Amino acid sequence: MASLSSSLSMAVQSLNAASGELQVTNNNIANANTPGYTRQVAVLQEAAPITSAGNIAVGQGVQLTGYQSVRDELLQAQIQQQTQAQSGANAQLSSMQQIQPTFTTSTQDIGTEMSALFSSISSLSTNPTSSTSRQAVLAAGQSLATAFNTASSTLTSQQATLNSQVTQDVSQINQLTKQIAALNPQIAAVKATGQDGGALQDQQDQLVLSLSKITSVSVTQTQNGETLTTGNGTPLVVGSQSLALQATTGSDGMTHVLDRNGADITSSLTGGDLGGSIQTRDQTISGLLKQLDTLANQFGTAMNAAQASGYDQNGNAGQNLFTVSSTVAGSAASIKMAVTDPALIAASSDGSSGSNGNLTNLSAVQTSALASGQTPGDAYASLVYQVGSLTSNANAESTATTSSLLQLNDQLSSATGVSIDEESANLITYQQAYEAAARVVSTIQSLFSVTMAMGTAAAE
Amino acid sequence: MTAPNEANMRVTSMLPDMQYAMQQSQQNLSTAMQQVSTGLRVNQPSDDPAASANMVRSLAYSANVDQYTSNVSTLLPQMQTADSAISSIVTALNSAVTLGTSGASSSILTANKQAIASQVESVLSTVISQANSSFQGAYVFGGSASSTPPFVAASTTYTSAQGSAASPLSAATALTAGSVTTISDATTGESMTFKAQAGDTVATLQSAVASAVSAGTLSAGSTATINTDGQLSISSNSSTAGIVVSSNDAVLGSMSAASGTAVANAYAYVGNSDVNSVQVGDSLNVATNLPGNQLLTSGANVIGSLTNLITALQSGTTAQIGAATTAITSAVSYVSQQRVPLDSTISQLNSQESYLGQEKITLTTQQTSLVGANLADAATNLSQAELDNSAVLAAAAKVMPQTLLQYLQ
Repeated sequence: MASLSSSLSMAVQSLNAASGELQVTNNNIANANTPGYTRQVAVLQEAAPITSAGNIAVGQGVQLTGYQSVRDELLQAQIQQQTQAQSGANAQLSSMQQIQPTFTTSTQDIGTEMSALFSSISSLSTNPTSSTSRQAVLAAGQSLATAFNTASSTLTSQQATLNSQVTQDVSQINQLTKQIAALNPQIAAVKATGQDGGALQDQQDQLVLSLSKITSVSVTQTQNGETLTTGNGTPLVVGSQSLALQATTGSDGMTHVLDRNGADITSSLTGGDLGGSIQTRDQTISGLLKQLDTLANQFGTAMNAAQASGYDQNGNAGQNLFTVSSTVAGSAASIKMAVTDPALIAASSDGSSGSNGNLTNLSAVQTSALASGQTPGDAYASLVYQVGSLTSNANAESTATTSSLLQLNDQLSSATGVSIDEESANLITYQQAYEAAARVVSTIQSLFSVTMAMGTAAAE
Repeated sequence: MTAPNEANMRVTSMLPDMQYAMQQSQQNLSTAMQQVSTGLRVNQPSDDPAASANMVRSLAYSANVDQYTSNVSTLLPQMQTADSAISSIVTALNSAVTLGTSGASSSILTANKQAIASQVESVLSTVISQANSSFQGAYVFGGSASSTPPFVAASTTYTSAQGSAASPLSAATALTAGSVTTISDATTGESMTFKAQAGDTVATLQSAVASAVSAGTLSAGSTATINTDGQLSISSNSSTAGIVVSSNDAVLGSMSAASGTAVANAYAYVGNSDVNSVQVGDSLNVATNLPGNQLLTSGANVIGSLTNLITALQSGTTAQIGAATTAITSAVSYVSQQRVPLDSTISQLNSQESYLGQEKITLTTQQTSLVGANLADAATNLSQAELDNSAVLAAAAKVMPQTLLQYLQ
């Protein structure tokens, strides 16, 4: 049979449930802007009814069984994936944006300096004995060599910057995996009690997201918590253990990434800032550098060959105009003028000082195909095209992933985020529930008072 | 924001979407402003990679067009100098014809002939002075040997600086391989050039001179001998035949005219036959000089014919004066013919100059369409971007402070 006492206890449970809901709401509002926070809900359950005499079942109120975080693992995984793509594109974009100005038409880019050299040669042909015109050719040649040197140094210094980026990324990965691994046993312990991972899980998800910014990771849920591997399968976190990567300088002067057994996994790392940096350094910039070196080498060699077919102002066979390295690699960095005496420009085709016959051969380098099959101007134009296209593609990818990430975050936030409006409305609901339960308590209290007073009244 | 038609969409914070919208709109505004302020649609290769690459090619071509234009401007006065010199030569030769014709008259007195002869001498010096015209320090009729006057007064004998009685040169003296010795003959109007090979000696040079005499390049009797002072002496062996000798062989030293051997009214051509050509268009090269030997010595020997007229007036018969005058008449027509290609080049340069000017305009138009911003579009884009930006900001200002809490008391 229902008693006042059982009603009171039921009302206290109600107060407890409403308090729990208020607490969750309070926590949700407090964390409305906390990154990675997933909103919590209080899980209420109807208490099992008691069947009293006469087979009348009476409800026993409400039970607060716990708090549950509202998660969406699928969206979380998609966000991690897009974050990797976005960071990778951003790494490439940031490097290309620094490289691009060197290949933008200016007063000092390779294309302009190359035109200036050929203009000075053409100008010399109108007065082959003019020392001023000869000096102008040397100066233009020097400026072109400097333009090659500058372009090469822009590319190599960008590679050097990316090397330190790789080292930094690896150290960040190691820190993050350590933290993630440390959370695994704690979460497992909480879960073992049948509770939700809650704040610990939020924290771990947030760390995995930070890790995704650096490199591509795949996450597998196990009994011991999350197991993390890189995109190519190198383990990073197994249970409570984190497996550190190492960064080391290879024989090519580049920073390589080794797994804990010392195996080189550099080329298999993809996605994230690390993957983007490695791809930019080893493929994009290396490719551009190779083309630049080839152009510098073939151009210098062609100019030297043209110079050798004529005679200088002293009637001697033309010496090399440019010092060109014997190997293609490093040619753009090392190309320089080989002659400093204006008289040594081999303008003459027959040894007489006033002949300009060989300038035609020097000028012809501009319109003749180099060994690469392209004229020097076309070879440079395609280099400019590639720089532009790589930058533009990286930009497009960065924009696309940013926008897709925004959408995914909207979706995730829709499912798991805190809405202040919703919490405000809940606050009112829970406040009313609390007030109602309190009213029940106060009603029961007055009933108790009446009951207690029954004897007193009789005594009077 | 996700699509509004999704069922049960909970809208939480609008901040990320607002921030994104503001960033996008500010990015658009900045792009529009950059296009309006620079007037360029493509400011860096990534703005339009293909247009940037084409621009590199177009700018290279544009630089060539500028240089061709500059070449034309440099060449025109140089060629006009040559043209005006030839014109003066023709005028001078015509006056020599007039003088010769009057000198060929049977009634003229010997004293008057001498006077006419000296007038022709002055015509000759006018011709030589015009033939040695220079433009900005370069002698226009010297071929590619343009740094020294191409027509030089000739002497009968040249001797080497090297060699002495104590240490004489000999036929067996080895010459420096690669050295060049040139003998220019005023009478024949031709030159022999001897380039020493390894193993060549003075004897090789001597036989080369003998061969040139046989071939008619040098006047009959010309020899190369070792004189009593032990020097190499190259001589025409005729008081009226002048030569000019030069050598860069250190074994011989510089060749200089022996004193008192100058031949009156004899000038030899010491330039060369090189014709330089300069590019003034992608497929247009023009010859920029007319070698003096082609103009005045090797074809109709203009200088030789003037010398002959002077000699005929000084000591020849009426018939000889008449023949010499006739030779000058044909020289006039020969020189006039030589001027034709020069004049045609000048007119070609003039028309090329206007073509290049037009080409430059075409290229500029092409470059503007490649990378330039259409200002009307750019301005419209800018005002549109400004409007969008204000709208986004206004929307953000309106929406962001909205919460339920404001309405709850």
